Amino acid sequence: MRKLRALWMRLCGLIAAGQANGDIDAELASHIDMHTEDGIRAGLSPEEARRQALIRLGGMEQTRQAYRERRGLPWLESLLRDLGYGLRRLGKHRGATAMAILSIGLGIGANATIFSMVSRFVLRPAPMGDPTTLLAIQTTHQGDRCCNEFPYPVYADLRDQAQSFSGVAAYNELIPASIGGSGEPERVWGQAVTSNFFSVAQLPMVLGRGFVEGEENAPEIVLGAALWRRRFNADPAIAGKTITLSGHAYTVIGVVSPAFHGAEQVLYTQFWVPLGNAPTLAPNLPKESDRGQHWLQVLARLKPGVTREQAAAELKTLASRFAQSNPATDKGNGFFFEQAGSLPPSVSGDTMLFLAALSAVALLVLAIAGANVANILFAQAAARQRDMAVRLALGATRARLQRQMLTESLLLGLGGGVLGVLLSLWATSALSGIRLPVPVPLDVSIGVGWRVLLYSFALSLVSGVLLGLAPAWAAARPLLANALKGEDALARPGRRFALRNLLVVAQIAMSVVLLCITGLFLRSLQSASTIDIGFRTDNMLMMSVDPSVHGYSPARTANFMIRLQERAAALPGVVSAVATDVAPLSGYGRSDGFRIPGSPDAPSSWVNTTLFMVTPGYFDTLGIPRIAGSDFGSETADGPRVGIVNQAFVEQVLGGRNPIGVQVSGAGVLYQIVGVVGNVKARTLGENTHPVLYRSLKQTVSSDPSSMGYTLLVRTGGSPASIEPAVRRQIYALDRSMAIYNEQTMDEHIRAAYFLPHLAASLFGAFGFIGLVLAAVGLFGVMSYSVSRRTREIGIRMALGAKPGTVERLVLRQGMILTLIAVALGWPAAWMLSKMASSFLYGIQPHDALTFAVVPLFLAAIALVACWIPARRAASVDPMQALRAE
Amino acid sequence: MGEKTDVWQGTLALMVLRTLESMGPQHGYGLARRIEQTSGDLLQLNYGTLYPALLKLEQEGFIRSNWGVSDNNRRAKYYELTKAGQRQVKKATAEWEQTTAILARFLTPAQEA
Repeated sequence: MRKLRALWMRLCGLIAAGQANGDIDAELASHIDMHTEDGIRAGLSPEEARRQALIRLGGMEQTRQAYRERRGLPWLESLLRDLGYGLRRLGKHRGATAMAILSIGLGIGANATIFSMVSRFVLRPAPMGDPTTLLAIQTTHQGDRCCNEFPYPVYADLRDQAQSFSGVAAYNELIPASIGGSGEPERVWGQAVTSNFFSVAQLPMVLGRGFVEGEENAPEIVLGAALWRRRFNADPAIAGKTITLSGHAYTVIGVVSPAFHGAEQVLYTQFWVPLGNAPTLAPNLPKESDRGQHWLQVLARLKPGVTREQAAAELKTLASRFAQSNPATDKGNGFFFEQAGSLPPSVSGDTMLFLAALSAVALLVLAIAGANVANILFAQAAARQRDMAVRLALGATRARLQRQMLTESLLLGLGGGVLGVLLSLWATSALSGIRLPVPVPLDVSIGVGWRVLLYSFALSLVSGVLLGLAPAWAAARPLLANALKGEDALARPGRRFALRNLLVVAQIAMSVVLLCITGLFLRSLQSASTIDIGFRTDNMLMMSVDPSVHGYSPARTANFMIRLQERAAALPGVVSAVATDVAPLSGYGRSDGFRIPGSPDAPSSWVNTTLFMVTPGYFDTLGIPRIAGSDFGSETADGPRVGIVNQAFVEQVLGGRNPIGVQVSGAGVLYQIVGVVGNVKARTLGENTHPVLYRSLKQTVSSDPSSMGYTLLVRTGGSPASIEPAVRRQIYALDRSMAIYNEQTMDEHIRAAYFLPHLAASLFGAFGFIGLVLAAVGLFGVMSYSVSRRTREIGIRMALGAKPGTVERLVLRQGMILTLIAVALGWPAAWMLSKMASSFLYGIQPHDALTFAVVPLFLAAIALVACWIPARRAASVDPMQALRAE
Repeated sequence: MGEKTDVWQGTLALMVLRTLESMGPQHGYGLARRIEQTSGDLLQLNYGTLYPALLKLEQEGFIRSNWGVSDNNRRAKYYELTKAGQRQVKKATAEWEQTTAILARFLTPAQEA
């Protein structure tokens, strides 16, 4: 306590220093006076009395100094002085300061932005109670890399037999429904959960409660906070009210906290219903008795004191027990778990790799920026050597001077950090606005949270310290004699600007790496834009509906889509209209293994084939060339199944034989091939062309309904957007309550498919540009500095007869040698690193010849320009002026 | 430097507090002279060290100071004990007595031997 009080008083003393100085002076004066008087009284002369008094005091100034040190906090005072001095200096050199802060700011901004992705997708725990003891369990199958969902019976066995868990819950992660109420009907996504889900996950509720035991089949619903606000005006009395979901009545029992929108943090689900009730909303869910259908996610809460290793061991035992009791379905199966809320295992590998690559590139940008600033600081340090030498000569310690330099570079680092955070605020909000090309609701918004702030702060400190090290070392060790005479005190014999050259070489080498990677992604985007997708995208409108969420039977759904197609086709301005289950390039699709019946039943004879349901006229409407056979149209709903295949199917499944009339089988269904059409990119731009089989929508909906709804494709004569209200009216004419989603033109849809190459190219493009500018500025700075230091030497050379051209070449040669060394170092590094990027490239090799040839030349050209300006300045040195100057 | 000063400042602080306790409010010069007298002029005090010590005690809240007028009509800063200071005198005295008692046990047998 006393210590604290004293510290506080000393802090106050720091502030009121001026006033207290007067105080101690008066006190000491009065002390001396009294002592002198006593001395005179004892018989001394006034002068002698005063002298004695001063001696006994131990000196006025010494006492004052001791008093001052006790009054304030000397280290804090000197820190504040350093800060003040540093700020003044930085303010005086505005250009260099702005350049340094901008460089570091760009570097830290890039890192903070990438780190906000890492924080969002990798570090953030799920917003559920005690995330560390909550596990997400998946099933695995021998030989598979990873994981599958659970069949209900396996879940039930696990729940009943596992001793490691206090509770095991299951849920189906995506159930579509249409929600009524005010405004137009809306399609929303929810989850079907076991009644113990809310207690296992320990979810905080805004109001009401979650499901409890005994409510497995209850027509009850828990709403997400966002949906509750949007559709129900945040009604505080909503618990107990009845709402309509896909035409069925549900009683609201609670609203879950806004942070929670599904245990997988990327999905954005907005309501929860009991699992037993889910078939009401999604009739084609697998049966709970089926042990072969994997459709449930599982969450398990570890019992207190049980470790993950113990749980893993028990799961292993259970897996072998299940394999014995149910060999038909469970043989070779195992379990895999990780902390709930982690990225789904199917995407985590790629995501991690992508984030790691981005983080590496962002750090590279920061390193280049850092080299740049270090160079600026180093140049300043050289310019300040006289100042430093004077201070050293006056008795300042070298440590004191080094602290001063470090304070300044820390200020720069922190300033850059602030700018970087501001930049990343902007960048994250821009990135959050990107719509991902998937049909399900995702929340991929990123923001600058406390982790990002902490990371940025740490980066600022580290870069501040690293940046200051070299200048601090240099500034505090000038050769005193040289410096005071005004000569170069840092240049020691045989070592001219070695450190600065090293920095600039490192900087350019890193830029080579960065630019090569950037070049690869730009080339990838270019090659992606020339990918032949196989169909026409202009003048086409898309609109999706999902009649199954409105209680339509599959037969009624097929009927609805066919009538809708006919009505839309009859609209003025419409060329043709067709219905399908999934539009091409939606990022997903359905597939089955196919083969010719009678061929040997080896796993290799099943060829994975993408399936589409279409109505007659689909190929003409999309502009997919019909190569042989006929279109759909003559088949009947319950007649023999017919299919139309693409050329890749003919080559890969049929081995090139004439396909018309051939029967193929997939998932137990026989199809007679009636036609062949051209290849298209079915799911993603990056895919290799693979087999596609088109089925008749009329024949397929009943037996194999789509769980993702159906899409109407309308080819228009004029602008597709102008037809949209008319098509919408036709849907409402058939069913006023039908929710419409994914309304867009085909061009917009395709733009979404270019999402990945665009994202990669724009991120890397931005980084590459920043890196290039920084490297060019760095080289320019080094060469300018070198010229300014050598003014006298150049003057002498010219006085002795060197021509301006010779001098210019001298400077250029020095710069280009640095560049060449840097390219020679950076090029092989880029060559090796580019392999990492290969899985994100479209249609080009990681060792793309064009990129690796152009980048060094391009960089050399930039370097030439950066050196040319100082070279010109060197050539224009007036020898008389240069020799007289110093 | 550090250790010696600490011991010295610790004892000086106790001397200052004891003197203030017995004499009442006093200015710096008076305190210095009084401490010398009390020590039987065995202690040659460097008067300058007194002022930082007084400041430290004031910062810790054991004494407070006010400007006043001395016997010879001179402006001087007077120091006096606070309540906390009075408690501190008792506490420090007890501690010091214990320390000397312990040290005495070490030193006495040495003399006897």
